[in-house]
Amino acid sequence: MVDWRDILKAQLFSTVCWYRNNKWMLITTFVWPYLMVGTIFGIGMALGSLEEYAERVGVVNPALYLLASSAVAMSSVYIMYSITGFVLENRWIGTLPYLLLSPAKTHTVIVFSSLPDALTSPVFTAIAIIPAAVYFEGFTGALRIFIVLLITILGMLPLMGLSVIMASTILFLKEESNIMGSVVPFILLVSGVYYPIEVLPRVLQVISQFVPVTYVVEATKIVSTYLTSEARMLMVALYMIGLLTVGYNLLATLAMTKVERAIKSKGAL
Amino acid sequence: MSSAVQVEDVTKNYTTSVRKGLLRREKRVVKALKGVSFTVSYGEVFGLLGPNGAGKTTTIKILATLLIPDSGKATVCGYDVVEDPEMVRDSIGVTLTVEKGFFWKLTGRENLKYFGMLRGLSGKKLNERVNDLLETLGLNKLGASDRFYEEYSLGMKARLCLARALLTDPPILMLDEPTLGLDPPSAREIRNLLVMLARNRKAVLVTTHNMFEAELICDRVAIIDEGRIISIGPVQELKRRVADKIAVDILVSNPAIGLEIMRKRLRTVIETVGVGVDERGGVYVRFTCRSGEEDKMIADVIKSLGDLKVRIYRVNVEEPTLEDVFISLTGKAGEA
Repeated sequence: MVDWRDILKAQLFSTVCWYRNNKWMLITTFVWPYLMVGTIFGIGMALGSLEEYAERVGVVNPALYLLASSAVAMSSVYIMYSITGFVLENRWIGTLPYLLLSPAKTHTVIVFSSLPDALTSPVFTAIAIIPAAVYFEGFTGALRIFIVLLITILGMLPLMGLSVIMASTILFLKEESNIMGSVVPFILLVSGVYYPIEVLPRVLQVISQFVPVTYVVEATKIVSTYLTSEARMLMVALYMIGLLTVGYNLLATLAMTKVERAIKSKGAL
Repeated sequence: MSSAVQVEDVTKNYTTSVRKGLLRREKRVVKALKGVSFTVSYGEVFGLLGPNGAGKTTTIKILATLLIPDSGKATVCGYDVVEDPEMVRDSIGVTLTVEKGFFWKLTGRENLKYFGMLRGLSGKKLNERVNDLLETLGLNKLGASDRFYEEYSLGMKARLCLARALLTDPPILMLDEPTLGLDPPSAREIRNLLVMLARNRKAVLVTTHNMFEAELICDRVAIIDEGRIISIGPVQELKRRVADKIAVDILVSNPAIGLEIMRKRLRTVIETVGVGVDERGGVYVRFTCRSGEEDKMIADVIKSLGDLKVRIYRVNVEEPTLEDVFISLTGKAGEA
C-alpha cells in the first residue's frame, strides 16, 4: 500500500522537474524576498525612519529583522497557499482526480503532495536572504537566518491541518477563487508581522494567541535581537507552536473523514 | 468467469442550483443514477453505452471511489468502493478524460514517473515500466516521450492517459471515452490495445457513445440512458433481442408502368413497402421484415417485380447495428 513517503517522494520528484524545466521560476523564487523588502523599505523610509521602526518594534537591526520577518511571515503562511493552491491548481488542470486515485488516504495525498512546495519556499527564501544577512552581520547573521528557517518550518506544522480543512472547504463549496486571499492577510494582521500585537484591538489580541504565525514572528524577533534574557520567551513560543500543532492537526484529522465524505458525496472532485 | 466489478442497484443524486433572478437560486435534484446494476468479468471488454448525461461518468467515478453512491453496493476486485476505497484504487487503472490531467511543464516520461510514484512504484522497476509503456503506446515512436505535455497532440495525450492507467498493470481498467476526439488511426490503435488487454485476462470497462466502437471491441454492452440501464448483454444478443426487424433495399430499373402502380402491386405482397428514387436517380424498393422471414419476403417481392418486367440490379439486406438497437431502446439518435 502507498504511504506518505511515496507521496512525498513523488512530489519532490515533480518539484525538481518543475524547477529544472522552468528556470525563470527558479530565478524569481530567489529574487522575490528582495523585491518585497525593497518595496517595504521604500515605503517605510518615505513615511518614517529605520530608527523609529527599530524603537517601536524593539529590534537591534531593523533591516535584517524586516528582511527575516517578511520572509518568515510569507513563508509560514505559504503552507496554506501551498495546500489550497495545490487543490485548486490540480482541479483546474484536471490532475486532481488522478492524484486522489493514489491508493493512499485522501488527506495524506493532499498534505504530503503540498509539502515539498511549502518547504521549498522557506528554504529558498533563507538561501536568498543569507547574502543580505552576511552583509549586515557576517557569519552570525547567516546562522540566525538558519535558526529562523527552522522556526519557520516548525511554524508551518500547526497550519497543515487547518489548510487541509480550508482546501476541502474550497472543494466542497466548488469555490474556484482562492479563499486564502482573504484569510492570509487577516492572519498576518493579527500575528504581529507589521504591527506590534499590543496596538491591536483587544479582540484581535485574543485571536492572535491562537494563530501559530504569532509565535513564529515572536521567535524570529527574539532570535534577531540577541537578547539572552528573552531565551525563556523563545521556549514559550516554541512550546506554543508545538501545542497548536497537536491541537489543530488533531482537530483536522477528526474533521477530515467527514469532510472527505461530504466532498465525495457532493461530487465535487 | 469471476466478477471483477459488481454494481447492485446503485443510485446517485446531485443537487444543483439554478439562478432565478439576481440573487435567488433554486435548488434542483438531478437523478444521475436510478438503480444501476451490472457486472464486469475478467477477460472481457464491457461497454457502458449511452448519450451525454446518461450517467456513464458518474458510474465510473463511483467505481473509482471518487464519488460516494447514495444507495446500493458496488465492489471492485472484491472490495467495497465505500468501505475499502484504498484497496479499490490499488486494483484499478482509470482514465477520465483524455484531453487533460497531466502537468504541462513536465515531459510525458516525467509525468508517468510522477504518477507511478504516487502508485507506489520506484527505482528500476518504475523506470522499466515507464519505458515499456512509452514503447507499447507508441510515444517513443512519435518522439513524444521527452517532450513537454503542453506540446502533445490529442492522440499523444490519449496514449499517455492509457499509459498512466496501465502503470501498475492493474487487473481492472476503467476508461471513460478513451478514444474521444482521436483521429481514426489513433482510435484504432487504442481499441486494438484494449482488446489485447482483455485477452490478457484484464477486465476492461469502457464508456462510450460511439456505437461503432462499442460494436467493434465490446464483448458485452450495457445501454444506459437517463440513469437507468435499459438493456444489457452481448452485442449480437442485444441486436437480436431488440432489433427484430431487418431492412431490405432492392435497386431496380425504372418501371414502364410508373412508380405508383408498382407500389400498389407490391402492396398486395407486403403491406408496408416504400418505393422511391434515390439521390442518384435510381429506383429503389424498401421494406422491413421480421428477422428470419426475410428470405421468403424477398422471394415474393422479386417474383412480383419480375411479373412487372422490372429488372433487379442489387438486393441489400441490412443487419441491425448497435445504433439501431440504441435508437430503438432510447428513441434517441446515436453517434456513429
